[in-house]
Amino acid sequence: MVAFLLLGSLIGIAAMVALNLWLGLSQPARLRNIAEAIARLDTDAVGFEAGEAVLAEDGSAALVESADGSSIGLLAARGDTFVIRYLTPGLVRAARMGEGGNLTIKLADFTFAPVEFRFGASPQIRHWADKLNALQG
Amino acid sequence: MENVPEFVRNFDPIVFAIPIFVIAVVAEMIYARTKGGARFESRDTASSLMMGLGNTVSGVIFAGVLTAWFMFVYDHRFFTIGFAWWIWILAFVLDDFVYYWSHRLAHTVRWFWADHVVHHSSQHYNLTTALRQPWISPLTFKFLWLGSAMIVLGFHPLMVGTLGALNLIYQFWIHTEVIKRCPDWFEAVMNTPSHHRVHHATNPLYLDRNYAGVFIVWDKLFGTFQPELDEEKCRYGIVKNLGTHNPIKICLHEWLAIIDDMRHAKSPRDAMMFLLAPPGWSPDGSRSTSKQLLARWEARGGVQPADDGEANSSAAAPSAAE
Repeated sequence: MVAFLLLGSLIGIAAMVALNLWLGLSQPARLRNIAEAIARLDTDAVGFEAGEAVLAEDGSAALVESADGSSIGLLAARGDTFVIRYLTPGLVRAARMGEGGNLTIKLADFTFAPVEFRFGASPQIRHWADKLNALQG
Repeated sequence: MENVPEFVRNFDPIVFAIPIFVIAVVAEMIYARTKGGARFESRDTASSLMMGLGNTVSGVIFAGVLTAWFMFVYDHRFFTIGFAWWIWILAFVLDDFVYYWSHRLAHTVRWFWADHVVHHSSQHYNLTTALRQPWISPLTFKFLWLGSAMIVLGFHPLMVGTLGALNLIYQFWIHTEVIKRCPDWFEAVMNTPSHHRVHHATNPLYLDRNYAGVFIVWDKLFGTFQPELDEEKCRYGIVKNLGTHNPIKICLHEWLAIIDDMRHAKSPRDAMMFLLAPPGWSPDGSRSTSKQLLARWEARGGVQPADDGEANSSAAAPSAAE
């Protein structure tokens, strides 16, 4: 009986998620520009002063260094919302450059899955990878 | 022991509510598709529903221990209150009063927040958010005191359990953006979608406000009421939002963070503060509590929090204007 109820519940959940997908209720979150990324970082932290910044090619992520250089604000799209982290020393596990202008960032935070940036042909990749790797624990 | 009425023994309001929950969620999704006004994301929906299922399963797993404890407390009660009709009304109000304080502690003591944060961990606010519930609530041990308060007075555990379920069922429908405002008289007395949107918002003005379950009057009485303001649109979630939809990580993340902080604390006092201080406390001030975020926000001219239940929508805080 318990197994039947559990199976029924799982089927019900799957059906509701399928309906959600079928109805197409969400669009992937995208940043329009750096100013929007800075505004979001400032809204969350109340008082984040921005320095150097970079936006992923498709607007799915951004990196914004604080004006005093003490942290790097990271915004990453997760579904139709953004998740923000303020990276300080010890919070970065690795920042790796990949093929075709990609940068993969892994954090020492098990609630934050790795994020992949696409910079295109920008020469900034190494610059940002170095900045992030300097924050490794 | 006095006779427990038959309907109390056999009545589980949640069983009757589940089909209504499902129909309401589907209706809200269709409304979102046709009219807008509600936001859904499939992975968020999946994790909220899985958290709800896990909460039900954990309720079954912990039922034996909790029932044994509550019956033990009832055996040592001060009075025998019984099941008269007017006792039900009195008990419903009293249960909601206890809920207010339990909920307030769930936001202001990190140990209890570790459990309750699960319910706030979605950046969406729809009916599935109501079902996003924790799995290991007994680890707060609140059932030993707050959960037992009415029972030791003499209210039967089955009555308290039934009323608690009715309280939670009431709170289901207020997790929506579809309903903007209810009639004024209703907004004045009852918890509503508008009041509860404020509770789920991370805007500094809205943090740690509107703890009510059914009756919003508790917040007005105890100074924690904040109306929803048109000029301050709610942003939902938690101060440090999760970048995962994994139910196990959602369930455990704050518990593990507390353990990690306590392990690395520089003194026993700091370790206890990591457990018992408000969420966001840190010995070096490198993190922010709700009060600190609000102070920073006010300092740069944010809207003032409501006082005595009335919103002051002036553009600048007096202290910031001076």
